[in-house]
Amino acid sequence: MRKDLMDILACPMCKSELELKIDEEEGDEVIKGSLTCAKCSEVYPIDDGIPNLLPPDLRKAAEAKSS
Amino acid sequence: MTTQRTAEEIKGAVMEHYGSRAKTQLGKTDTIELKAATSDNACTDDACCGSSEATQEESSGWADKLYSAQELGTVPEEVQEMSLGCGNPMAIADLKPGEAVLDLGSGSGLDCFLAANQVGETGSVVGLDMTDSMLELAARNLRKVGAKNVEFTKGEMESMPLPDGQFDVIISNCVINLSPDKDAVFRESARVLKPGGRIRVSDIVWTRTPTEQETSDLASWAGCIAGALEIKDVEAKLNAAGFTDIKIEVTKQGESNGWASADISAFKPAAACC
Repeated sequence: MRKDLMDILACPMCKSELELKIDEEEGDEVIKGSLTCAKCSEVYPIDDGIPNLLPPDLRKAAEAKSS
Repeated sequence: MTTQRTAEEIKGAVMEHYGSRAKTQLGKTDTIELKAATSDNACTDDACCGSSEATQEESSGWADKLYSAQELGTVPEEVQEMSLGCGNPMAIADLKPGEAVLDLGSGSGLDCFLAANQVGETGSVVGLDMTDSMLELAARNLRKVGAKNVEFTKGEMESMPLPDGQFDVIISNCVINLSPDKDAVFRESARVLKPGGRIRVSDIVWTRTPTEQETSDLASWAGCIAGALEIKDVEAKLNAAGFTDIKIEVTKQGESNGWASADISAFKPAAACC
């Protein structure tokens, strides 16, 4: 994801702003990292450049199924 | 025997179905082959979107029938191949330069790329999808298309990871029927639209009341039929979410099956003044 996508992303649960943590980047693109909700503290992963902003229960169910 | 499907079961079936469709496409060559798209990879093995009509068109791509040559001229053929929609929201979306667009269930990204072309550099397009392999495919297509004003994010349309009042237009192509909670989709749509913003989507609707059996079949849910709403329910739910000027136009009748493709449009009221 490009860093400027941060301007229009919000927590899917409480709709608050998210804080970006970058683990890997290429120019303006964040390849790996996470987004943390400033209000409810939920952490959302960024993998392969795609922010995973599914609600936590759905994300965890999908992770459990694929592992 | 019929049973009421849970939201989880439905989401699981939808993710699995569309995930496997995307994986098939991802397994294909990385280069863009300049051959005519064939109908076998575009919305034909589904109940979705009038399969009988699509299978009769063997010599040219299904997308060609719905999108004008001018629109398709801007998008690589491989991207066009993976469009699984039921109609062309671009034809009704009437996007203007500078507008911010949200595509619900963006899939391989075709509609996003067409929308991006329409809104230009001053506009922007966000594609929302919940299926990993579709997002992977969209990201790959984005690299090919090279659009600077398109971004994809993983999320569900019942709880959008987006702030209030962000978008001018919501488009969606044969996706809302897949949701187990349409009320939430329309409520969230109203929330993320700017005052005066509009939703202009294509979707399957029932033109008669479906039987319980017809609405409980998971395979047919992923194929866009089981989860489709009756026309009157689309209107009622949009109305309940606060939309006005609701228009639902049936564009393609699914023979005598009782369902059809429809163009749906509605507006979020402009902010009350004074």
